[in-house]
Amino acid sequence: MRNKLFISVCCFAAILCTLILSLLLFVIALNGAKAVNLRFLLSDSRNFGAEGGIVYQIMGSILLISGAAFISLPIALGTALCKSEYIKNTVLQQISSMMIYGLNGVPSVIFGIFGLLFFVNFLNTGISWFVGSIILAVMIIPTIVLAAYQSMSSIPAIYRESAYALGMDKWKVIAKVILPQGIHGAVTGLFIGLARAIGETAPVMFIATAFSGAKLPDSLFQPVTALPTHILALAQQATNSQALLNAWGTSLVLMLLVFSLSLSALFTRVTLQSTGRR
Amino acid sequence: MSAYTGKIGNGYIIISTFASMGIILLILCVLFFNSFAAIRDVGWSLFTLTWNPPHAQFGILPMFYGSLAVTVISLVIAVPLGIFTAIFTSEILHPGYRFSVKAFLELLAGIPSIIYGLIGVAFFSVWVGELFHLQSGRTIFTAAVLLSIMILPTIITLCDDAIHRVPQKYREAAKGLGLCKHEVIISSVLPIAKPDIIGAVVLALGRALGETMAVMLVIGSIDKIPAPFYNLLAPGQTITSKLGREITGSAFGSLHFSAMIFMGIMLLVIVLALTLIAQYFSKSGQRLYE
Repeated sequence: MRNKLFISVCCFAAILCTLILSLLLFVIALNGAKAVNLRFLLSDSRNFGAEGGIVYQIMGSILLISGAAFISLPIALGTALCKSEYIKNTVLQQISSMMIYGLNGVPSVIFGIFGLLFFVNFLNTGISWFVGSIILAVMIIPTIVLAAYQSMSSIPAIYRESAYALGMDKWKVIAKVILPQGIHGAVTGLFIGLARAIGETAPVMFIATAFSGAKLPDSLFQPVTALPTHILALAQQATNSQALLNAWGTSLVLMLLVFSLSLSALFTRVTLQSTGRR
Repeated sequence: MSAYTGKIGNGYIIISTFASMGIILLILCVLFFNSFAAIRDVGWSLFTLTWNPPHAQFGILPMFYGSLAVTVISLVIAVPLGIFTAIFTSEILHPGYRFSVKAFLELLAGIPSIIYGLIGVAFFSVWVGELFHLQSGRTIFTAAVLLSIMILPTIITLCDDAIHRVPQKYREAAKGLGLCKHEVIISSVLPIAKPDIIGAVVLALGRALGETMAVMLVIGSIDKIPAPFYNLLAPGQTITSKLGREITGSAFGSLHFSAMIFMGIMLLVIVLALTLIAQYFSKSGQRLYE
């Protein structure tokens, strides 16, 4: 009897969660589908985003995360290599993990404020998409480091030992053995990180984006418009039904971008596992 | 040739490691440096109840109260629901479905917070307003409910990992003693998974405290503790929503700005502490997704 009660409580919780979460997806998809069409995707926004499309917002978001990817991947890869191949001391290893987890836990709005203080005011860069890319890169570094470190540290010791036995020096072992096996983890982490980065509003809204009017930048130090900040601007004029409709359309586009990045991550992880075991 | 490659390689690795480790210290230093004016000039008066920049009153307690209230209520809703659902997905549901359930949850955990904010503005605040006959549905309660839905996928997927990681032999031993399914779960599986579950909840707590966009759009933005302090159907303000709304509105270098940064550094320190506690509890977990 109590067994049945417990099981049914669990089932009830699961059904409730599924309902809530599916309703969420359903609401976004249904409202978004009303707004999204080819013209919406390919035209410029007018009247502070309440009319027109989101082509520059899409490009701006993609620009921001491509910049972030190019900055974060090499740094994170180096850090992961250092953690897996160089640091042998347990205390140092723990300190480095603490730093990485700490950075991973920093709230996104703090990144935005840091960018505002350090880059925009102290280094006097002005509001610029490149600063936004740097901040997003910093934000996703821990994710990439952890993923790359995990796949590097799961390389069997015998691979390294055989490579050293062949007379390779440390850097050659890294280039020929560790990197080819560890790069998949880094790429998985990169996709997970980018999926998070593209949807973040708080880090970029003070430092990288203009709410409307900006087109494609022609230098590193110009603002862009991005999808999340566009939704924010439209959500604040939610009484205007046309603005709200455009906000739903933008949300759907943003969500599809996030999902495609997450699915790429899932895909690389699955292929990584199968090639790793071969 | 190879000697040079080695040197360049070593240099690259050392520089990138210092860059990624040092940035957290840089963030702390920059924030502390900029909040110093407020610490020096306002001092202990920072911890008072009135926030009124034109009269040089910078009490940050209302924002603390808002953050605390929103986070606690959202956890009270999301944690029991999440743990029961995790028990369902890991112990009751057929293991064949596990992959698709996990994929679904990870996708949901990735929905950007601004979209939750939009849903909050368009539906939740309207519903809350009509349900309780309020002038405006933008209240602490609305923000808490929205936040609980937001952290639900994270809690479920982390707790599911924690329960799934309990070795099969404990379940078999407990079953061998003649225990029913619920007794196996309650008396054998959950106690073993407990540290990881606590870690997951603490991590979710940190995420909820640091959440900005969704909360900012629905909380109402009034810098006061509601009249009876348990009146949750009143507008409030959290640290994050305050920062998000006001940081660009305050002049750089002013006392007002400095007090805002001080709030930011308090938030950062609390969240960092929570993150490290979470890591202490779940030593085995190297999580890639939050």
